[in-house]
Amino acid sequence: MSTIKEYLTADHGRCDELFANMEDAVAKSIESAKEAYEEFAKATERHFQMEERVMFFEFEQKTGNTQGPTAMMRHEHVQMRNLIAEMGKAIEAKDKDKFFGNSETLMILMQQHNMKEEQMLYTMAQQHLSAESERIVDMMQSLIVQ
Amino acid sequence: MDFDGLSVDQAPPISAPLRFFLTAPLFAVLAGILILLSDAQTLSGRYSMDAIAITHAITIGFLSFVMLGALTQMLPVLAGVKIAKVDMVAKISHFFLLFGTLFMIFGLEYDFSKLILSASLFLGIGFLTMIVSMLIGLRNVVNATPSVKAMITSLVFAFIIVLIGIHLLSSHGSGKFSELHVLLANIHSVWAIFGFAGVLIIGVAFHILPMFYVAPRFKKFCKQKVVWLISFGLFLWLILNLFFDSYSVVAKVWVALFFWAFATTVYLKLNARRRPISDITVWYWRSAAIFMTLGAFAWAINDFYDEKYIVVVSILIGGGFIFSIMSGMLYKIVPFLVWFHLNAKGYMSIPTMNDMIDKKLAKTQFLLFIISLVGFIISFFLPYILPIFAITFIASMIILEYNIVIPVLIYAKIIKTKPDFDMSMFTMKVEK
Repeated sequence: MSTIKEYLTADHGRCDELFANMEDAVAKSIESAKEAYEEFAKATERHFQMEERVMFFEFEQKTGNTQGPTAMMRHEHVQMRNLIAEMGKAIEAKDKDKFFGNSETLMILMQQHNMKEEQMLYTMAQQHLSAESERIVDMMQSLIVQ
Repeated sequence: MDFDGLSVDQAPPISAPLRFFLTAPLFAVLAGILILLSDAQTLSGRYSMDAIAITHAITIGFLSFVMLGALTQMLPVLAGVKIAKVDMVAKISHFFLLFGTLFMIFGLEYDFSKLILSASLFLGIGFLTMIVSMLIGLRNVVNATPSVKAMITSLVFAFIIVLIGIHLLSSHGSGKFSELHVLLANIHSVWAIFGFAGVLIIGVAFHILPMFYVAPRFKKFCKQKVVWLISFGLFLWLILNLFFDSYSVVAKVWVALFFWAFATTVYLKLNARRRPISDITVWYWRSAAIFMTLGAFAWAINDFYDEKYIVVVSILIGGGFIFSIMSGMLYKIVPFLVWFHLNAKGYMSIPTMNDMIDKKLAKTQFLLFIISLVGFIISFFLPYILPIFAITFIASMIILEYNIVIPVLIYAKIIKTKPDFDMSMFTMKVEK
């Protein structure tokens, strides 16, 4: 069983792969990139929810802090959701420039965000939630996206 | 719960990095003008006053300004630590570095000793304020990744070279040179290039390349050992230089080898990257890798020619490698910061990063820069053609400044309008 940090870090890697696939698909032909886009958008939304509904929630309960790092991470999720939605619109409109403009911004935002999570938040979570690590990973794995 | 020092929620104010970034190309323009006005013959030696002034217009005015600006932004993200009172630190450091660099350039050019002495004081204050603040911040690091270790190593080298620099410059000011002057100048330049800039670039590349380009990750050995091995090489080089000068080439080859390996790795990783985009930053990374490879060999071989080609080596490594990477970074980081800070303040309809940079102009800037570099190297052998390439370099740097001013103007324009959302309800702490 992987730890919270290992599990979520590996999921970042998976989302990055899907991001690259999507960009590749759009570069080849934006008309047929919808599937790759949806795969990425779905995986990323699932990642956000695993954090927001499970890990952040448990972390906030444990530390009694809802205005700390998790609030900032939740806010960045909102920013990323908006960019992902914009990319979806660009694909619908077959507007490559708009798509890559947004995907470039998303990439940097996403990587900044991932670094902060992997360097700090996951490490902090691992420390505070180590006893419940297995249960939390289990819950994240079995999460049904809303 | 004590999260002090952990700054998941702390982005430095946009003005902190931007004040450094926007100044940098202007110093490069100044360097270009000085090259244009100088006698090409005197520039082929590294110890002429012209050569020292121009070198520092580039190394302090451009390279250090970009590196320090980028560090204010990267420290919270890569290391999770904040610089205390970052806004004030950035302002003070920028002020002293700006005037320190100008005093140094004009003091040396016009042989005005009081100006040179003030320059060494100003530059000392400017650099040390920033370096010490960052090192203090870095004491709070919880998770010391290879990148963080590289940053610390780089800042320690920076600290030492600044102290040596202050000494060297005040010697010029007072006209009293110690017996060790040339040796210290050598240490200063080699440690600045490879210890400060080189190690920083390598440390950041561990993160940046795999993350931003979805390129294969660096091997564990690379991440854990290379910075240590390079630092060892640089110390070995110092010891050999002091006591067994004739063997110092061994340490040079050692250091050059790792930088060559790094350059090759960068090139191969970019080839294997998963993201299809090929933008100006990618070209700059590639040109950096090629120039570094040439520079590493030239530096090692130069020893067998009595250091005759040290200026060519400096152009290859300082200009081709470090300058390339810094320019490439400006193209990514400035538009992103503009987008990020506007978005954080509740503005939703912002131009995308790609809309902020005119691709054609960026390409022109890149080509002019590469032409200038190659031209500078050819001019070493044919000095009379140097003015042509001074002009292409100036043009390239004016365009660079223009390209990064545009996103900042977009920021200035949008910030005057009303945001789409009132963000005060969020706990976002982007300092004003």
